[in-house]
Amino acid sequence: MNKIVEKQRLSELVFKFVVEAPMIAKSRKPGNFVILRIGAKGERIPLTIVDSDLDKGTITLIVQNVGASSGKLCALEAGDCITDMVGPLGKATHIHKPGTILAMGGGVGIAPLYPIVEAFKKAGNRVITVLAARNKDLLILEKEMREYSDEVIIMTDDGSSGRKGLITDGAEEVIKREKVDECIAIGPAIMMKFAALLTKKYNIPTQVSLNTIMVDGTGMCGACRVTVNGETKFTCVDGPEFNAHQIDFDEMLQRLRAYKNEEDLARKK
Amino acid sequence: MTDYSEILKQERNAAWRAELRNAVPNKDRINIERVHMTEAEPHERIKSQTCEVNKGLSPDQARREASRCMDCVNPTCIEGCPVSINIPKFVKYIEAGHFLDAAATLKEFSALPAVCGRVCPQEKQCEAKCFYTQKIKKDPVAIGYLERFAADYERESGKIQVPKVEKRNGVKVAAIGSGPASLSFAGDMIKFGYDVTVFEALHEIGGVLKYGIPEFRLPNSVVDVELENLRQMGVNFEKNFVVGRTASFEDLKELGYKAFFIGSGAGLPNFMNIPGENLNGVMSSNEYLTRVNLMYANQSDSDTPVLRGKCVAVVGGGNTAMDAVRTSKRLGAERSIIIYRRSRDEMPARLEEIKHAEEEGIEFMNLANPIEYLPNAEGRVAKVRLQRMKLGEPDASGRRKPVSIDGDVVEIDIDLAIVAIGVSPNPLIPACLAGLKMSKWGTIEVNEQTMQSSIPEVFAGGDIVRGGATVILAMGDGRRAAASMHDYLKNRYNL
Amino acid sequence: MINLKTRFFGFELKNPLIVASSSLTADADKIKAFAESGAAAIVLKSVFEEEIINEYNQIGESKSASHFDEFMDYFDYKIRDQVLASYGRLIKAAKEVSKTPIVASINCISAGDWLQFASQVQDAGADAIELNLFVMPFDPTRRAEDTRRFYIDTVKEITRRVKIPVAVKISSYFSDLAAICHELDGEKLAGITMFNRFTSPDIDIEKEKVIEAGTLSSENEYLLPLRWVGILSPRLKCPIAASTGVHEARHVIKMLLAGASAVQMASAFYKKGPAYIGEILKGLEAWMDKKGYESIGDFKGRLSLTKAANPALYERAQYLSSFGGYAGS
Repeated sequence: MNKIVEKQRLSELVFKFVVEAPMIAKSRKPGNFVILRIGAKGERIPLTIVDSDLDKGTITLIVQNVGASSGKLCALEAGDCITDMVGPLGKATHIHKPGTILAMGGGVGIAPLYPIVEAFKKAGNRVITVLAARNKDLLILEKEMREYSDEVIIMTDDGSSGRKGLITDGAEEVIKREKVDECIAIGPAIMMKFAALLTKKYNIPTQVSLNTIMVDGTGMCGACRVTVNGETKFTCVDGPEFNAHQIDFDEMLQRLRAYKNEEDLARKK
Repeated sequence: MTDYSEILKQERNAAWRAELRNAVPNKDRINIERVHMTEAEPHERIKSQTCEVNKGLSPDQARREASRCMDCVNPTCIEGCPVSINIPKFVKYIEAGHFLDAAATLKEFSALPAVCGRVCPQEKQCEAKCFYTQKIKKDPVAIGYLERFAADYERESGKIQVPKVEKRNGVKVAAIGSGPASLSFAGDMIKFGYDVTVFEALHEIGGVLKYGIPEFRLPNSVVDVELENLRQMGVNFEKNFVVGRTASFEDLKELGYKAFFIGSGAGLPNFMNIPGENLNGVMSSNEYLTRVNLMYANQSDSDTPVLRGKCVAVVGGGNTAMDAVRTSKRLGAERSIIIYRRSRDEMPARLEEIKHAEEEGIEFMNLANPIEYLPNAEGRVAKVRLQRMKLGEPDASGRRKPVSIDGDVVEIDIDLAIVAIGVSPNPLIPACLAGLKMSKWGTIEVNEQTMQSSIPEVFAGGDIVRGGATVILAMGDGRRAAASMHDYLKNRYNL
Repeated sequence: MINLKTRFFGFELKNPLIVASSSLTADADKIKAFAESGAAAIVLKSVFEEEIINEYNQIGESKSASHFDEFMDYFDYKIRDQVLASYGRLIKAAKEVSKTPIVASINCISAGDWLQFASQVQDAGADAIELNLFVMPFDPTRRAEDTRRFYIDTVKEITRRVKIPVAVKISSYFSDLAAICHELDGEKLAGITMFNRFTSPDIDIEKEKVIEAGTLSSENEYLLPLRWVGILSPRLKCPIAASTGVHEARHVIKMLLAGASAVQMASAFYKKGPAYIGEILKGLEAWMDKKGYESIGDFKGRLSLTKAANPALYERAQYLSSFGGYAGS
């Protein structure tokens, strides 16, 4: 159950896993995620489903090694089993055909952006994708993104690939030169906050996919709660995607730090 | 339909029962003091999440306590029991020393007697209706302790009676959720000969029994034995399966499932929606208890963290609030405080839990209600502002309504707040079933007798129907649903 | 060109006519009609604590919930959330159909309960909040000091919590009405409306039961607010609106002369509908024209306590000698 059939290293800290999960592969839609656990005392962590293969009955996950739990997953090899995996969770992306889509993917956020780019392209939209990473080694899925984008713009902090600059620089250039009907931005929370501020200036409807803390993933505990348009929503069942201009990002960023002390302690162990 | 009271009368007239009654005069029975449950010492027990507080009765204690029961002609205790357990019969078996027979009697009515003996609010149910309470104003027979004794005895003896299971009839049914409602549903359906699969969204089976109720009240080992029994009888359990998401109801029908029991519970946390409730360090009781009970976050080898507080405030007065506040004590809090807007007497928690909490050093701030949480510089909760309350006129539930004392607001320093003000039905499953009639509060509407929903092949019970209720009621629902689903399927498939 | 502008609720109003909180302002269609008829501001139907209590009682009485104290214990919070959510939707719907300012109304019996409501109402887009401080002194244990503290504390808490203007609507049951108003005046309010109106009990002598008296205000009820507008308007910094018994243009003019900045009306619209606004405004303009006034400011407060030629009439409680005898003598 949940056997890893393929493992691939995409960068120093980022790995791609293809996992046996026939039921999830069949039910999943772009934007959905799974919650998984490694080991009897493992933590439940959410990961967006990047791709699936119905014939083979597999799903693809991409994970960055940032802590104890992701580290355990990254240490697994093909042939190992993931202790527990449940999905597909979360509301699927609303795929439609507004015309021109600006997709922004920052760092490991490029992974969850990929299935959405693919779906919007297949729906007949013009898709312009801006990818950003600290440097070219950390830039993932460029080839795959090019397959489903009319244009791909690369931004890196050090200029080692594409242009030197922030993702919002690249995005603003696109917005200034052509009409963008909708924007999707996925990446570190702070990046999504600034992407939202940018698109709000130009009144472009924007969706982001939030990466809050989660425990059960089925709406049971409220750990993932965010304030959207003045109301409390649960990222795991009402999201993970929300209207970017309605999200209280400052509150969300603060809540992401809730376990910082505990995580630091765990890392030291 | 055989009359239950006729059966009770006949059984009472059995020779062994009459002999027992005659062996000791009632006036002697009445003079026996109610048994005191041996409890783990408070200072020691707060060091451990898994040390069960109640230690159980010894066989001698159990027989002596059982002898207090006068085997009334009209056993009013049964009226107090939501599933009408044949209380005099099992109690008299205990008195006679036939402990396994007592356990078997319990299992005719209740799927999980070891659980109910521990968590039922007996003081509002069977023991409230006992002759001792009603007529002579003395402590009732400790029916709950006796139920636990019989169930534990059977479990520990290794001689657990696996009930007779009918020949398989080839019809597949599904239970959604693995809490008490589904477990008792599954237990009956497997006996009727159905192919039963219980689908559970989490990675552990048991629902609230595992993630909600802490081990110092209900050890996991007790629940696991019951689950193993069900497996022995042939019930299948599928973990990590969210019906409606992992596979739809249509998918399951294609796989051959003919009927469904929804026991997905009230797993949606209620918040007060007051300012500051989204600060770090303010969380729902569901989150807190799930981290500790399900994810073992209190243990150093667990990957899941839990926030620990030096001064923890738990808002609420029910069993969940008691569980959360006592857990916080075990996690090292210097002060663990219950904040409840009504008085001590009106707290809905089991009296035993309140007593145990007091012994463990839990502080009770009654007639106080949070109106705002205030942060420190890092965005972590640092204070709570409380409105002092007084009791006004009774409301519809018969309890006096808490009324704010205007201007009387106090602030206390805390670093962790747990909101335990109740739960609502989790909307995830019902949202996946078009045409399922729901109430405006998110509960599934069912026929109260048959537990059948607006969709004929879908039945439901437990908290998803009742809002938040008790384990015993959930179990009663599961059994009723099994009986009527059996009728429904018998007719449809000519079984 | 006659200018009817005035100021209340923290902003400029195009004329002094405010539609008061009532069932007339409970849905978007009716609100739209008032906005289109020229109302200067619309106060939405109040969110009543009673609604929440009734809903709670209904559930409490239902069989299936009767045992579950733990379940029902904080159920009023859930009901409140639902009631507030639907009020938020009403605010949003009203804002969509009307450019006229929309004022949310909170019926306050107790301070502690409504704090978070105020910010939710602000988030939903209300232009201002009217706190209906709804206390009738029938409780023998409740003293004037309790009510005073309740008023002041509630106002302090809510003005602390929201950025939008906060106004209050008060009752007349005060032995120290002037002192209370002065104290409220110090709290940065966007207006004080005098007075709210309680439904009255009446008795049906045939059926021998207590019934509700008619809900609409009658002719002479305007005299009570008129007196107090006259007395208080020159002494308070914050603007005053008059309410109860304002049925015709002449009542509006009386209130303005006494010193009110605006009026709130409901009963007249029950009888005559939103189009009546136009009629009243015409009457106001006609009178102003006749008198040679070009703006409200030209005559507002001319006959208040400090300005009137015979101000003693405001303060005198006794009837004049002309009413001393019987009609026959």
